[in-house]
Amino acid sequence: MRKWMVFLLIAAVVGLSACSTGGSTTVSDDLVLVEGGAFKSSKTSYSGKDITLSDFYIGKYEVTQKQWADVMGDNPSGFKGEDRPVERVSWYDAIEYCNARSMKENLKPYYTIDKETMDTNNKNENDNVKWTVTINEDANGYRLPTAEEWEYAASGGQKSENFTYSGSNNPDEVAWYWMNAGEKALTGDWNWPAIENNRNQTKPVGQQKANELGIYDMSGNVREWCWDWHSHPETPDNTWRVSKGGGWVSSVNTEEISYPGKFDANGLGPDQGLRVVRSK
Amino acid sequence: MFKFGKKLLTVVLAASMSFGVFAATTGATDYWQNWTDGGGYVNAVNGSGGNYSVNWQNTGNFVVGKGWTYGTPNRVVNYNAGVFSPSGNGYLTFYGWTRNALIEYYVVDNWGTYRPTGTYKGTMTSDGGTYDIYTTMRYNQPSIDGYSTFPQYWSVRQSKRPIGVNSQITFQNHVNAWASKGMYLGNSWSYQVMATEGYQSSGSSNVTVW
Repeated sequence: MRKWMVFLLIAAVVGLSACSTGGSTTVSDDLVLVEGGAFKSSKTSYSGKDITLSDFYIGKYEVTQKQWADVMGDNPSGFKGEDRPVERVSWYDAIEYCNARSMKENLKPYYTIDKETMDTNNKNENDNVKWTVTINEDANGYRLPTAEEWEYAASGGQKSENFTYSGSNNPDEVAWYWMNAGEKALTGDWNWPAIENNRNQTKPVGQQKANELGIYDMSGNVREWCWDWHSHPETPDNTWRVSKGGGWVSSVNTEEISYPGKFDANGLGPDQGLRVVRSK
Repeated sequence: MFKFGKKLLTVVLAASMSFGVFAATTGATDYWQNWTDGGGYVNAVNGSGGNYSVNWQNTGNFVVGKGWTYGTPNRVVNYNAGVFSPSGNGYLTFYGWTRNALIEYYVVDNWGTYRPTGTYKGTMTSDGGTYDIYTTMRYNQPSIDGYSTFPQYWSVRQSKRPIGVNSQITFQNHVNAWASKGMYLGNSWSYQVMATEGYQSSGSSNVTVW
């Protein structure tokens, strides 16, 4: 029953957004307005730093397979279900989705994608795509969150209650991850054969408790692409794109708001999806 | 690229990946893991201290072992495999993960039918034996960080280690040897475990780890 309600809600929202007619102030109902400001939570990578974010909108849910199929005409996901998050999408796929959805809703695309010019800034030896992607800062279209925006929203923004995971200190309340995303609860330490045999998989969006801003699944279910290159003192720059929030495969610490997740931009995983944002 | 069959790869990977564990850097284990995919018959016993035993018949895949929650490059693993007699595919291996960089590593002391291999990098000696060093790459495969592309580092003993005697794995020697081949581990240490794993085989194993 609850699943159906969530699904109907999403379907209604998708319908509404498809009816938008291009005004820069027209915002889909599946987006949550995040009031900007400085980081209030102490549990993020940016806490205590002199960073102030502007207001922005962010998806209440991870992009679902229905939302993806309505825009892109296909569904690459390994675990099929209209109200489950789309997965097996690369960072490049996610960028293309943002632009395609913008155009479908008569918004100005946020990204310029040059597929003919290899991005010489990209140092990833496994990435055989390397499109050159630049941003149109004044565009009103859909885009990926920056890592700062993602952590700010995941931590509850100005309403933060200082949780470790998005919406709780108990991962089982808010996240689908390796221990709880299958037929039975798993114990011990991370074990792929156990995960596989437990039929772990993605879950329909919005089934766990929302965070302080009413946003679901920022910890767990699928990892979510961000715009930024992964940057860490111990790893090379310009090699991986940021992928946040952990998913149904990964260990519990990857579900923490601050965990520095990353993935090859051309990487495809059944635990890798996205959530969109729009500038206000 | 190592030539493991998918199943064997899964087995070794399983062996490798499973276990969790305890605290501190060296010393007694405080974690026990007993996992099986439900195929065949597996009887695993969590003995006192660092002891575990497992008997299996016509199994699918299983991993049983004891280890440490927090890994360290200077782990000294003491163990006595009173029994390790797989009929078919089985491994007695020390295994773990690092992050930054994400790497899965194995020190394989004993095996059944199949001896793990990969891209050969050289040899090293430690604890009375000579090990072949291999690397393998995993592309878009499951890991503790979710699906990722990451290397696996291997030290595989050239000859099976004798059973029934106190044995030691001085992991730092492997870490140093790997580094000399340009195989650098990460700076964030996840769990480590000493494990018996098997796939589509029968056998028995009784190991005490300390």
